[in-house]
Amino acid sequence: MRDLHLQQLRLNQTQRVRLQTALQKLQDVSPSSAAATVAVADNIPVNHEDGVLKGHGTSELDGQVVATLCGVVERVNKLVYVRTLRARYKPEIGDIIVGRVIEVATKHWRLEINFSQDAVLMLSSMNLPDGIQRRRTATDELNMRSIFEENDVICAEVRGFQHDGSLHLQARSLKYGKLKSGQLLTVPPYLIKRRKQHFHHLENYGVDLILGCNGFIWIGEHVETSNGVMEGDGGNKVEESNESSSHSVPLGEKGQRLMSLETRQHICQIANAVRVLSTLGFSLTTEGILEAAKASISLGINTKDMLGAEFHVQTAEREVGRRMSLLRKKG
Amino acid sequence: MASPASYALRRHQQQRRRPLQDDNWVRSDGRGFHQCRPAFLRTGAARAASGSAYAEFGSTKVIVSVFGPRESKKAMKYSGIGRLNCNVNFATFSTATRGQESDHKDFSSMLHKALEGAVLLESFPKTTVDVFALVLESGGSDLPAVISCASLALADAGIMMYDLVASASVSCIGNSLIIDPAAEEEDCQDGSLTVAFMPSRREITQLTLTGEWSTGRIHEATELCLDACSKLGEIMRTCLKQAVSSST
Repeated sequence: MRDLHLQQLRLNQTQRVRLQTALQKLQDVSPSSAAATVAVADNIPVNHEDGVLKGHGTSELDGQVVATLCGVVERVNKLVYVRTLRARYKPEIGDIIVGRVIEVATKHWRLEINFSQDAVLMLSSMNLPDGIQRRRTATDELNMRSIFEENDVICAEVRGFQHDGSLHLQARSLKYGKLKSGQLLTVPPYLIKRRKQHFHHLENYGVDLILGCNGFIWIGEHVETSNGVMEGDGGNKVEESNESSSHSVPLGEKGQRLMSLETRQHICQIANAVRVLSTLGFSLTTEGILEAAKASISLGINTKDMLGAEFHVQTAEREVGRRMSLLRKKG
Repeated sequence: MASPASYALRRHQQQRRRPLQDDNWVRSDGRGFHQCRPAFLRTGAARAASGSAYAEFGSTKVIVSVFGPRESKKAMKYSGIGRLNCNVNFATFSTATRGQESDHKDFSSMLHKALEGAVLLESFPKTTVDVFALVLESGGSDLPAVISCASLALADAGIMMYDLVASASVSCIGNSLIIDPAAEEEDCQDGSLTVAFMPSRREITQLTLTGEWSTGRIHEATELCLDACSKLGEIMRTCLKQAVSSST
């Protein structure tokens, strides 16, 4: 998959050679997983004496463990499973995700989150705009569209699975809710590792970065809420607080705040850093993204030129340097 | 033969048939009777799909995209297993006569039959996997190409399967059995056999037989097909391995 993306970069000869050496070095540096790749119906060698737990993507045929997916074999103690690279997001309870509303239904919203099914966000599992804890009334139900509409991008947490396998979300804190004035990027979910912190405020840029576990990444203007929590609870309250707190900012046509040009540029810069890293297939961390953005500034590369071939090659080479120095520290 | 448009074409075939009657004719592309066309396979051909593959067998060119597993659009009852939805289309420019309505209406159901035995449908309950195949150039043996390409695309999409499905077909012309027939050979065949096969499990998922056959010949033809499928399976496997190891 990476090859396909990289082919579209139009590298010249020297750049291609540099990129290939960099990627080769990366493969040499990392404990090689290339040997453990399997295709469908390949045998997975296991030591039957120790006992084996067959995990996701494996099945048994004539006493042998056989892969049912393409990917990399992972082993955790006795558990053997296949991690696919090009597959949909597999939710786990507590994951922070970014999704897009595709339907406003009775008492719930349906969200596209790159899972095999649509996720469900119940009206009862989110905070109301007025912030009061109470039973949801019929009026609340009628006002659902004023909270989230179709095509809104929102941020929520995975609450759990129902008996029939459908996925439920919750947004019970002020940091969840509607995301406005920013960019949504989609990357393969395996690039995002589960961390303690998925909300990031990049102070130097005045930008919020949300790394959704489902591979949806939100980069938007930083939103300051009264109680210091990063993101507002969507809906009307945020708009009101924004309008009252920032008198100096010019208002748009519908009374919305306009973003400053500088912030817009910063958003694009961070977004392009994410794009470069995901094209190269490097896992996305705040540090990595910030480093790429910083490098583009120090090298004097325009935001639009970050997607060019040269910056890709430089990023790959920088990653090699980083991993080499990590190894040296360890060794 | 009823339509006047195809009248000229058919007479042409009649003329071509004659040299095929004696046993030592040569195939138009110079292959041996038991020799397949070279295969070219690639995964990840369409970026918007969850998985996709492109296959080229001589002049037969096929692209397959797989979407899902995604929520079933049709309102349906809860089912413990997933649905596999297959659709085969021919591009308007795929055949020599442009925009001709193809007589391959049954390809979609045949593709479904060939794949459903290999896919672990219970691994995605309540959801549908859509398989869309497009024949870009129809150069003979279209269905086997579509089946092999589709199983590659399914594997690329990360859908659980017991094994890859490789498929091959054999045509019977006069006294000779020819494998992987080209379009003009298919036009003048007496009978054909198409086999979809899971190489590592040695299980057949689908077998289609048309025309006149004798028992002995069926055996011979099936062996030929299975052999070709096993070899194609190896090629498909290396293609997938390459795709996986290049993206880690």
